[in-house]
Amino acid sequence: MIGPVSTPPDWLTRLRARDPESLQAVAEEHSRRLYRAARGMGLSAEQADDVVQEVFVTFLGSLDRFEGRSSLATWLFGILLRKVQEQRRASARDGQHDELDESWAANFDPSGTWITPPVEPDRALAGQEFADAVRSCLDDLTPQQREVFVLRQFQELAASGVSKILDLTVTHVGVLLHRARLRMRQCLDALGWGTAQ
Amino acid sequence: MMTCREVSTVISSGPLAEQPANVRIRAWVHLMMCRHCRRFWRQIRALDRGVRAALRGYEEEMPPDLPKRVADRLSGRGPDEVA
Repeated sequence: MIGPVSTPPDWLTRLRARDPESLQAVAEEHSRRLYRAARGMGLSAEQADDVVQEVFVTFLGSLDRFEGRSSLATWLFGILLRKVQEQRRASARDGQHDELDESWAANFDPSGTWITPPVEPDRALAGQEFADAVRSCLDDLTPQQREVFVLRQFQELAASGVSKILDLTVTHVGVLLHRARLRMRQCLDALGWGTAQ
Repeated sequence: MMTCREVSTVISSGPLAEQPANVRIRAWVHLMMCRHCRRFWRQIRALDRGVRAALRGYEEEMPPDLPKRVADRLSGRGPDEVA
């Protein structure tokens, strides 16, 4: 049985008609988060500025294919990711194996119980110094770990959304997030921020 | 029952709410009984809060006129008009 023919929502119709107010509203609503993600993924301020513009240009060119089934944010982040990836070559470090897996395993005895239990995070992880440390540690992640880690910081993007954007399975997104967090904890700990053991 | 290693790996792979019900429930049971894994969970959440704040800092450096430049460009008023 054929279902009812769906019509695009009003906002999408207005965007397709290049309604200036709608274009402005979309740019206002999404530019900041896209810029934040682009910077988080390692682009310079200038590159991020360019990429955000290119994301919207591509978005406008692909509006006829956008049916509104995924959220607008997911669609835009998907375009952003492809633009960011175009800016750099894929790293060979994104293999299936990571030496982190072994160092993580070393935290547990053969029965899977903590050998050295975690400690309470002993101070607020905030402020400019911590932000600088985070930015520095993001550079330690592989490109894919970094993409997953940064995208997962946007609460509107669940694992399923990130997996669509990155064209990965939800399980692989989880593995990459796990490795990214371990590497971030190790790095921040080495810089004296005491998030890990 | 899940081990500490399994539970902490699940926790750091994404929010528990996104896990299948059987994994979520088994992880909750373990967390109720294991203070070490609860601590690890707090670490992860503290790290996320700090990272989100650090990433939000990038927005402050965004040129304030960027959304307008984008809108102008999309409307064909910018230097590189969209076909």
